[in-house]
Amino acid sequence: MKAESNRRIESRATHPPSLRFDATSHATRSRPIRLLTAVPICDGHDSAISTINLEFVRRGLEVVYLGYHRSVRDVVRAAIQEDARAIGLSSYNGGHVEFFSEVLRELKRRGAGDIGVFGGGGGTITADDAKLLKRRGVDEIFFAGTPLDAMVNFVKRKYATAKKTFHAATSPSARLADGALAKCLTAAENGDRLSTLNSELSTRTLGVTGPGGAGKTTLIDELALRFLSTHPAGRLAVLSHDPSLVGDGALLGDRATMIYAQDDRVFMRSLATRGHAGGVSRATARCLDVLRHAGFDLVIVETVGVGQEALPFRRDLVDKTVLVMSPDYGSRLQLQKIAMLDAADLVVVNKSDLPGAKTAAAEIRQRLEHNQRGQRLIVTMAKRHRDPGVDNLFREVMS
Amino acid sequence: MNSLGRVVEVVEAFNRSVEAQVKRTRRDARFASELRRRWRRIQAQIPEIEIPTGLKFPRLALPPTDEPAEIARYLFGEGLPGEFPFVNGTYREMYLEKAESGKQKTEIEEPTRLFAGLGLAEDTNKRFHYLTHHQRTIRLSTAFDGPTLYGLDSDADGVFGKVGEGGVAIDTIEDMERLYANFPLGNEHFSVSMTINGPAPILLAMYVAVARHRFGPRVIPKLRGTVQADILKEVQAQNEIIFPLDASLRFLRDMVEFTTKYMPRWYPISISGYHMAEAGATPVQQAAYTLSNGFAYVEMFRARGLDVNRFGPRLSFFLDCALDLEYLALARVCRKLWAVGMRDAFGAGERAQLFKLHTQTSGRSLITSEFKNNLTRTAAELLLAYANATNSCHSNSADEPFTTPSEEYVRLAAHAQAILLEESGSFKFMMNALSGSPGMKIVERVVERAMLEEFHQLDELGGVLAATELRYQRSQIQAAAHRYEQQINDGTRPVIGLNRYHSAATESPAVNVVRTSREKKQRQLDRLEKFKRRHRSQSERALDQLAKVVERGGNVFAELIDTVEHCSLGQITARLADLVGRYRPTL
Repeated sequence: MKAESNRRIESRATHPPSLRFDATSHATRSRPIRLLTAVPICDGHDSAISTINLEFVRRGLEVVYLGYHRSVRDVVRAAIQEDARAIGLSSYNGGHVEFFSEVLRELKRRGAGDIGVFGGGGGTITADDAKLLKRRGVDEIFFAGTPLDAMVNFVKRKYATAKKTFHAATSPSARLADGALAKCLTAAENGDRLSTLNSELSTRTLGVTGPGGAGKTTLIDELALRFLSTHPAGRLAVLSHDPSLVGDGALLGDRATMIYAQDDRVFMRSLATRGHAGGVSRATARCLDVLRHAGFDLVIVETVGVGQEALPFRRDLVDKTVLVMSPDYGSRLQLQKIAMLDAADLVVVNKSDLPGAKTAAAEIRQRLEHNQRGQRLIVTMAKRHRDPGVDNLFREVMS
Repeated sequence: MNSLGRVVEVVEAFNRSVEAQVKRTRRDARFASELRRRWRRIQAQIPEIEIPTGLKFPRLALPPTDEPAEIARYLFGEGLPGEFPFVNGTYREMYLEKAESGKQKTEIEEPTRLFAGLGLAEDTNKRFHYLTHHQRTIRLSTAFDGPTLYGLDSDADGVFGKVGEGGVAIDTIEDMERLYANFPLGNEHFSVSMTINGPAPILLAMYVAVARHRFGPRVIPKLRGTVQADILKEVQAQNEIIFPLDASLRFLRDMVEFTTKYMPRWYPISISGYHMAEAGATPVQQAAYTLSNGFAYVEMFRARGLDVNRFGPRLSFFLDCALDLEYLALARVCRKLWAVGMRDAFGAGERAQLFKLHTQTSGRSLITSEFKNNLTRTAAELLLAYANATNSCHSNSADEPFTTPSEEYVRLAAHAQAILLEESGSFKFMMNALSGSPGMKIVERVVERAMLEEFHQLDELGGVLAATELRYQRSQIQAAAHRYEQQINDGTRPVIGLNRYHSAATESPAVNVVRTSREKKQRQLDRLEKFKRRHRSQSERALDQLAKVVERGGNVFAELIDTVEHCSLGQITARLADLVGRYRPTL
């Protein structure tokens, strides 16, 4: 707590706020509870957590799922960036006492002791382990046979309100630690209005969209790898979207498939669309403003998987837009209906190893030439290590 | 059409041919009486055995019939034990006790195999020596700890707590040496199985290098054992994969090429459905995805120029056995589909048609509440596994939901097998004593149809690899897992002591939890540091040499046998990941 407030003062002192929020009004209103769930390092048992995630989402929670085989640093970094109320860990491979304890220590060290920790591991976590872990600060350990209902009810009760909310005086700046920035984003997501916007912005922004399954997340992760290696001191932000379900819950799973973006120089935030159609959230523009002011060199916005009619990036939301397609869009006629093909600056045909990729690239190239807007077409195979197509894309993005 | 579509075709053609033989017995009297004569001949050749109560029984149970149609259906559709299509078993005698002295000795394959791995290499070595006191032949089965499974060294960032937990910690060739110390690696009665996948080629390279140190290079062709190395099911279910799929498959092909050429007694891949079932797959999903993965490997190795009759006999399978009705006949169907597919779709000879199966009882069926019921669950599953003529079997310990099994429950698990095979009369006196019930036949038919339907589905998606990339098997398994949980929740799937006959007592059972102490973990780190220091001058060069082989497309496995002399597991995976990338997890 202390470190956090010191930092706040410091940031106010050295960086005159260019952007402020009106009030803390919305931060504690009844918004979906955000959780981060993960499976510890060297553990691939994701069956239980997948089932639990689905249940959480069905019952109205927003779950950021980090995936399996994740280190303490990755877990804590993600929980802080996502402003999760709690971390749920599913551990089946032993070493849980050390792992849970290390998560608690790392949270405190990073001034995020307000984030709760709970977990389970079937029968591998004994009653004695659970007692010890609870003494150390874990909120709850669920034993084998706990009904899903009991877990949902616990989480809804225990994490109903945020312990620490956004401070009105905080303003996004390059000096802001992940935790404070995350709180700003939460405020922005929950509808707090921004006032003055007056600073020089050198942040480059990139919008990435395309149908589900085209490989957007993989491409972004590969771009992250290239960014980190070519900008040794650079900072990257990723604002990623996943759809909310009818019951308000959402499974935010983009982090789970990312490898290279798990890095201290990458700030990633997952947004649920919360009923907003079109590929992004109502709060996307506000969140993007926050990130623009937070000193990132590059901010990438990833939309949900979109349909033919979607034009998710309204004018000047981002500097550059990329449409990612896979070769299996159907007939040439379908191509005529994809609105984003007229709007995107760059069009990527990913999965170039699939049959029909060459034809797809040729058809799309014709379509773009017809537009006469100087749109670039790039063919990639993002799943391949060091794919030259992704290298080209990265050059185009940074140009 | 993919090879899987072809498998469906040849199985259907096979079934038609069996039916044609059955019909022929009805209109061709000569054929019918010929068949009847053959049947009598077979019966006359079956030796008798007198059991301790004084009664005499035939050593092989055949259907009690004299009807040519039924005889045809049995001989052509199921086959005698050890005969195509091997529904009744891969070998003639399986678990039968040796015939009386004076008669010809029959070789007994000891089917009991127990999985062990805990703490440091010397601890597991001690456990192995303890376990083999109970066994007639030495067959070690090794479990590795989390860091080893993911190709990390014990000193990797944030893995300290995992060192030696749930399996043995292996970082270097020196650990491998300690692991199997004082065992006769090249002996024909010794075999070792390693449950490792992502880093399998590296671990097997360590094993080969250790054997070479201890017994000289001439031991290599004599080495017997299995390495799991089934990378497809890692993507589909278990998630222990380090490199991207294409690169992982390339390393696997290199290893299989090497063992096929130079280690003819080694089983370089154990095609596994166990982990799928544990992750939630239904019995049919488990069997169908496992066999289809097997056919995909066959296609892949053939494309590499390997002869199906050389590598085919070295493929083995690993399935779960739980309490669902399907397990009454699951392995019987698998043996048939594999044999018919290998013979008729891939032109394989008899030795490559055998579906050699290792079974493990279901870990998922074991629960913590009233955990001693797990002894009964495991016993019931064992009975099903042996009734299905599995070639080897591991029985889980009742305390497994809590911990690495303690010695007490390991012993009980081993004894459960001995009770079935040695104490009870159901398996040792008479082959096939339990096969062929009407229910078993019905289950066979239904399961076979469902499996072929799954093959068809995979074929439609473009084959196993395409379906895997589409996450098809994975999402099917997840959906099944979700359904299973819901069924337990709403009580449609009874679990005794959990959602039925639940006793009020909630205290946790007193089991001896096996954990690895901090001191031991630290000892492993110290050793690793010493190894790295000692090999500092050679390790970089060895890694560069390895990198060259990777880049010029040489056989990576052959090179790894030298690389492991100077480099740790983590050093090798890190360099390989630099070259080929890391596996990108899917949801």
